[in-house]
Amino acid sequence: MEKKNTKKIIIAAVILAALIAIFSVCYFKFVAKPTAGEKSITIEVVADDGQPKDYKLDTDAEFLIDAMDELADEDSSFSFEGSDGQYGMMIEVINGKQAIYEKDNAYWALYVNDNYGEYGVDQQPVQDGDTYTWKYENAPE
Amino acid sequence: MAIPILGNTKMLQNKRQDKTPIFSAKDIAYMGIMIAVIEACKFALSSLPNIELTSFWLIMFTLFYGRKTAIIVPALILVEGAVYGINTWWIMYLYIWPLLVLIAWIFRKTDSALFWAIVSGMFGLCFGGLCSLTYLGMGLVTEGFKSGANTAFSFWISGIYWDLIHCAGNFVLMLVLYKPVSRLMKREFSTVK
Repeated sequence: MEKKNTKKIIIAAVILAALIAIFSVCYFKFVAKPTAGEKSITIEVVADDGQPKDYKLDTDAEFLIDAMDELADEDSSFSFEGSDGQYGMMIEVINGKQAIYEKDNAYWALYVNDNYGEYGVDQQPVQDGDTYTWKYENAPE
Repeated sequence: MAIPILGNTKMLQNKRQDKTPIFSAKDIAYMGIMIAVIEACKFALSSLPNIELTSFWLIMFTLFYGRKTAIIVPALILVEGAVYGINTWWIMYLYIWPLLVLIAWIFRKTDSALFWAIVSGMFGLCFGGLCSLTYLGMGLVTEGFKSGANTAFSFWISGIYWDLIHCAGNFVLMLVLYKPVSRLMKREFSTVK
């Protein structure tokens, strides 16, 4: 029994070690990498009236959340609020317009260069020349 | 002719009397306590990201309480949905926790803290990957396989760092708690299984 357990433990340990190695390699190879240096970006806000409002920003921020913090400090007409959730920060209010899914049946959707964003605001890398659009969207009926 | 009929009737009555319910009142009480223990631990550790005792308890309950743990999982998922609201993570729980119970059931005869620490760690490491399957399924239903696969892959990759923490947390907690808790459970559940 003891010998059988030892064999199982060794096999399980080898599988675990292999998985850790594979996952780590995948992480470093594929994770979104921010670029360093000064970047010129546009943050666009499209509220429920459909009118876009553009904000130009030169920043060294690595992630969008940091760029938005900078913009909010520099430009009083831009503001946002969010809350930390299980999958990172959720943007709930932009320029005073609230969109909380459970309460308002709407949400702030993030588009990067007109493509639906694949990352949360605190994981979205900032790249020079990119346009980040926050769009007020109603939940599907 | 009357005698065998009477005999059969008696046999049926005896059979009915011998038949014990699948779940006794004690079982139902145990299940309630087990779900409460999991929820209490979850609440107590909620400030520590990806450090959880749900995996530990589900493995231990499967090892020592046996196949009846299969009923605890759907009850637990329903409680979670009622407490925290039903969202994407809830769909993930529908297959993730039953899978853990199934794994524990397959290896139930292995009594080793180190083995279960490795299994629990492996489960924590694969948690994000398992969760990402939901995004793959959602993509398949809405925008096609490619879109679902892209979302699932991005979700999995961006969470690997947290999966490694989950792995380490599960490993250490199982390694530390397995022996004292299994000693108690062996005593408590020796007559239940």
